[in-house]
Amino acid sequence: MRRRIDFMGLRKVFFGISIALVLISIGAIAVRGLTFGIEFKGGTVIDISKSQGVTIEEVRKTFDQRDITDAGIQTSEGGAYIIRITETDPQKATKLASDVASELGINTADYQVMTIGPNWGKNITNRALLALSLSMLAILVYISLRFAEWKMAVAAIIALAHDIIITLGIYALTGRELTPNTLAALLAIMGYSLYDTIVVFHRIRENSQYLVKQTFFDMATDSINQVLTRSINTSLMALIPMVSMYFLGGETLKDFAFALVIGLISGAYSSVAVAAPIYATWKSSEPKYKALSKKYAAQSS
Amino acid sequence: MDLRQRNILSLVLIGILVIGSWALFWPPKTRITQGLDLQGGLSVILTAQPTASTPITNEAMGRATTIVQNRVDKLGASEASVQRQGNDSILIQLPGVKNAQEALKVLGSTGQLEFVDVASITDSATVAAIQNMRTDTAAKDRPQLKAGTYQPIGAPGAALTGGVIKTAEVGTDETNGQIVVNVTFDTNGTKTWAEYTAQNIGKQVAIVLDGVVQSAPVVQSAIPDGRTQISGSFSADTAKYLSTVLQTGALPVSLKPSDTRVVGPTLGQDSLRAALLAALAGLIVVSIYLLFFYRALGGLAVFALGIFASLYLGALALLSSLNVFAMSLPGLAGVVLTIGIASDTSILIIERFREEVRMGKTYRSAATSGSRHAIGTSVDADLVTFVSALVLYVVAIGPVRGFALTLILGIVLDLITALLFTRPSLILLAESVVGKAPRFWGVAKESAQVTAKPGKPSQKGGVANA
Repeated sequence: MRRRIDFMGLRKVFFGISIALVLISIGAIAVRGLTFGIEFKGGTVIDISKSQGVTIEEVRKTFDQRDITDAGIQTSEGGAYIIRITETDPQKATKLASDVASELGINTADYQVMTIGPNWGKNITNRALLALSLSMLAILVYISLRFAEWKMAVAAIIALAHDIIITLGIYALTGRELTPNTLAALLAIMGYSLYDTIVVFHRIRENSQYLVKQTFFDMATDSINQVLTRSINTSLMALIPMVSMYFLGGETLKDFAFALVIGLISGAYSSVAVAAPIYATWKSSEPKYKALSKKYAAQSS
Repeated sequence: MDLRQRNILSLVLIGILVIGSWALFWPPKTRITQGLDLQGGLSVILTAQPTASTPITNEAMGRATTIVQNRVDKLGASEASVQRQGNDSILIQLPGVKNAQEALKVLGSTGQLEFVDVASITDSATVAAIQNMRTDTAAKDRPQLKAGTYQPIGAPGAALTGGVIKTAEVGTDETNGQIVVNVTFDTNGTKTWAEYTAQNIGKQVAIVLDGVVQSAPVVQSAIPDGRTQISGSFSADTAKYLSTVLQTGALPVSLKPSDTRVVGPTLGQDSLRAALLAALAGLIVVSIYLLFFYRALGGLAVFALGIFASLYLGALALLSSLNVFAMSLPGLAGVVLTIGIASDTSILIIERFREEVRMGKTYRSAATSGSRHAIGTSVDADLVTFVSALVLYVVAIGPVRGFALTLILGIVLDLITALLFTRPSLILLAESVVGKAPRFWGVAKESAQVTAKPGKPSQKGGVANA
């Protein structure tokens, strides 16, 4: 039989790690801020995928010649260029892109232009916030109904917030752009982060019905160990396709994959190291379980 | 019907569904519609800008959509689509459009409705086409007028344009009960129209929107008071369309492009190839892992993945044929994520089965109760993702909805696969062959534990056996 990991004995270590990660993330978001994609700000992104060996200097020159000095030019793998400018008029942006492409000798089939109007960002932002808060609310209602116990719901929500904050923190640290795709991925992370938490909570609830001669902590540790293999495997199964998407997919798919990879790892960790320990700590202080702790704590730990 | 028969029936049912799905989606390249970001083209979201005088109403948006549809028809792009999105936006998709700049110019122009004396049109082929028009002539077959080859009715500066129309409504002729369109003009319009109709009885007038002839009624009598009845063999739809056209002298709201994407066709196909490669690589690694970890039961999980994928593609093809789905890059991201969701359900079922075997249950009862518990957990866990995706689908605008849609579909099909395939198969296998070769089915260790502790009561949760 595999080794039993003493999750509850390690809970202070887990809490320490999680609090540190969350604080670093909040600090990073506060200090470095989040970079929002042009979907939120308005502007144009020109994406040249097959650059036919054009150098970054040549690309910059074509924009400088047109007095566009604030063009942000970024190289991507396979000799692709992603150019961000502040133009919000799609007709001008499309013309600019086609002029630039023909000057650089790039086929019209090989580039992509996205232009976002100046007021659209507010709309997108509002909708994103609405979607996030509605989902949060729905999840809250669902969990409290499903588990018939608000302490489980609160523990699951704390773990969820932990995952979202850490994911955003990594975005702040790496300076990666937040796009509407990232936010969609965040919503999926919420669902996935809860997946493992629900599996663990199901087991704790099931085992707590037979709880005799054991502390709540020991029972919770056993529960986690019983479902650990499947938690690890389900997380891996979700993670593998995402990692493959991150390395093989284009820019849009990377957008999703980056957020999901972080969120899935954090979600798998938080279900056993945050949600379950918080819940168990809380339950252990209930009179019914306190008595059990007094009686059996000595011999089990 | 006993349990065994029911399980076999489930498998037969899933077999039929899989065959049906293959019939629907093969060949996938043509059966599953590709979105604009994959096949290349122009996609624009036009958003209404409200002002004090032009508030955004449902009716105004409906009229604006009709005008935009008319302009898109004029561009001659096949497979173009125009849809309302949210309460203030219109999504236009022009696959494979050659000249994006020209298309943007046409889409952004203000609507121009004109009344044209057909006799003034200099191009005889166009005149012939107008004379052959019927009320149900398809949008793409309607004659187009080139600037300078025709003359709007009325003196320059007082020409009959959309601005002079007061109302245009669908009605019925009191004498014969036919569907008609009733039009009234404002004071200036009434005057010009009265003068023209008095002198041109029996002549044909073309109603032209943005250069496209929408209808060409014949003047039956002089109309001194502006109250005009347009008759013909209208259906309710064609009459409604004409009345909308007549109301759309100018756009009822100001539309501004808020999200414009021009995608080169090779670029889209490259992205598609990359995405399919990523999905395939993910699928292969996941399958190998399942086989390695769960042996033959892993094979069952891989088989379930195959069935899930067939149903998924079938559903996508079905939605494509109903014109409600086009695969986009965010949609593909959703598909790849669902590979994980689908294998997770199988893992929960297999793990629970092995655990209940470990507790000393018979293979058969472990399969029955284990899969029931596991699917229950899976429904719980999936519901949360389902709710998030549903919220996203309802609230979001733009390409990200594709992600929500494929995710929702994936979750539903995953549960169908688990209920109709994985559970019945596991039970049938457990009844017959698993006991004969526990090592092959990856439950040798579990069975050994049971035999090592004879007489242990089977206990739910299995704390003692953890």
